[in-house]
Amino acid sequence: MKVLVTGAGGFLGIRVVARLLEHGYTDLRCFLRDTSKAKRLEELVKAYPAARLEFASGNLHSKADCAAALTDVSLIFHLAAGKSGSCADLFMNSVIASRTLIEALEARKELPIEKTRIVLISSFGVYGVGALARGAPVSEETPLEAHPELRDPYSYSKLRQEQLFWEYQKRDGFELVVLRAGAVYGPGGGHFSNRVGLQVGPVFFHLGGDNLLPLSFVENCAEAIVVAGTTPWAAGQVFNVHDDDLLTSAQYLSRYKKDVKHIRSIRLPYPVTRVLAWNLERYHRRSLGQLPAILTGYKAASSWGGNRFSNEKLHSTGWRQLVSTPDAMKQTFEYFRQHRAKT
Amino acid sequence: MVPGARVVAVCDIEPLMAEQLAVRFGIPRQYSCFAAMLDAEKPDVLHITTPPEAHLALTRQAVSAGCHVFLEKPVALHHAEVQAIVEAANASGKKLAVNYWPQFEVQALELRRLYQEGVLGDPVHIESFLGYNLAGDYGRAIKQDTNHWVRHMPGQLFQNVLDHVLNKIAPFLEDDEPSIDAYAYKENTGLAEPDVGDILDELRVVIRGCRTSAYATFTSHARPVGHTLRVYGTRNTAHVDYNARTLVLEPMQGFPSALGRLFPPFSVSRNYLKQGLRNVGRFSHSHFHYFDGLRNLLNEFYHCIETDSPSPTSCREILFVSSIMERIFNQVYAETQV
Repeated sequence: MKVLVTGAGGFLGIRVVARLLEHGYTDLRCFLRDTSKAKRLEELVKAYPAARLEFASGNLHSKADCAAALTDVSLIFHLAAGKSGSCADLFMNSVIASRTLIEALEARKELPIEKTRIVLISSFGVYGVGALARGAPVSEETPLEAHPELRDPYSYSKLRQEQLFWEYQKRDGFELVVLRAGAVYGPGGGHFSNRVGLQVGPVFFHLGGDNLLPLSFVENCAEAIVVAGTTPWAAGQVFNVHDDDLLTSAQYLSRYKKDVKHIRSIRLPYPVTRVLAWNLERYHRRSLGQLPAILTGYKAASSWGGNRFSNEKLHSTGWRQLVSTPDAMKQTFEYFRQHRAKT
Repeated sequence: MVPGARVVAVCDIEPLMAEQLAVRFGIPRQYSCFAAMLDAEKPDVLHITTPPEAHLALTRQAVSAGCHVFLEKPVALHHAEVQAIVEAANASGKKLAVNYWPQFEVQALELRRLYQEGVLGDPVHIESFLGYNLAGDYGRAIKQDTNHWVRHMPGQLFQNVLDHVLNKIAPFLEDDEPSIDAYAYKENTGLAEPDVGDILDELRVVIRGCRTSAYATFTSHARPVGHTLRVYGTRNTAHVDYNARTLVLEPMQGFPSALGRLFPPFSVSRNYLKQGLRNVGRFSHSHFHYFDGLRNLLNEFYHCIETDSPSPTSCREILFVSSIMERIFNQVYAETQV
């Protein structure tokens, strides 16, 4: 079985390739926009003499590049997505790129589309948690965001990307497995999820308080993607991805300060955040947008309202956390400490 | 929002892009066919924000459908296309404006007033400086996408930003065809920031008219990222900082000998303090938006439509800028030093 991994050179992509190799997949094609990232993957495959790694370099906006990458592929792990930039950039790199990939798949002749499985990496950002009560559980059944225009552009682009895949799945009948990842962290990743707080100038505003963080260590997340993505009964299913022993936002920040570096932080209790957000939103409207509405009541409720999480469904696929949270934190913070001059 | 105007529809050849724009801004209708939108909506004004190669065709269609047109810069890929755009608008009697927003910042408007009132005297020399941070999203997009539309323009990176450098010089230069010496290169400073691959990213231009000269500078590597204009006149020299939103006149040396060099810093400080306080006042009255110049320009454009007065960006200015740009690109891309 030939397997395609898009975004294979990224933070998560490299780990997914590693887990695929470990699970015995030997015929892998890595789609890379930046070919300089092939080196790390080539190093990786040296430990698996039976494995064959191909590289498809190009752009997911190009139907020809997508078509070339899809040749003979029956399992696709779609990780490529926009991570930053304007809403238009995020849409181009997540939604439009995904549609180009699906359309190239539709146009493919040598393998029937119904025999192809796509494993899409989505995000917790697609859930409409702003409308939930504080502390409400978030599961795979939680309704999707009904007001994406009120959320951050990343969440909106991931929501639309996932909706697009379901629309095409209904039409084309390919197998679709969706993994909604929580806050993915690890060496080489970001230091703080927005769920912990926001850096404003020299001060870090700690807004997450004692909320649980749906943390997913990058190795564990990659394992979940491979295990759930290849489980036969997973077609048409959605899985939330996070680790078992979750930390609170306050615990994460406290350990960061202890193990990485001291940062100046101000903790704002949730009611204070809501009042601040309400005032900023009001000022934004009254001043006709003189300051951007970076903090609104809806965004505050979505990011810092606080929820409970369950990865029970993920466990039912046979997934087990590879790296314990204490070890994962140790690895991550050690990396951050060594590279802090660069951050 | 411009008073009296409402956005009725958005159009993008890519339906998903039109959709996200409509959803985010609560715009009632969206189209992926330009002709269908013109036909159904019959808008009074059309804002064209596509890449420049489509501007001429879209402008022609729009003015034929009775729309006034507001164009994003760069106006077109080639000067001949810009001429055709201006001709199409003039022939149809429709208003045309280009998004030269820095020219409508309060300080730039004030500079124009000083010039018109003769405070500066005759312009002797102009220095227009624009810095750009390519480590941001825009630079990343160009670097990552080898097919990015900016790469396909005759002037590549420069063409996307040079309007904002040259349009500030246009009002002070009487000559339509001044002499030009342009020099471009790719900076190789070893700075830990992403470059844009093989694209030239530093440009220096010397422009010489009959009575006035000018320097135009575009830099991707100088820090902090600057955006300034200095006008040397026969009576006064003015300095506009578009990032700091200040306009100050250089102090005259009113005292003899060393005393003459003692007081100017205090005079300059007082001028900057005044400007700062004025800005605080504007902020407190919500007249200090990030793109305040764009708000002013749009208000003037819609006002000129309602009153049938001249467009805030003149045809002469638009043509001057595009003509100079084309000549610069002909020079630097004929003989590049990468």
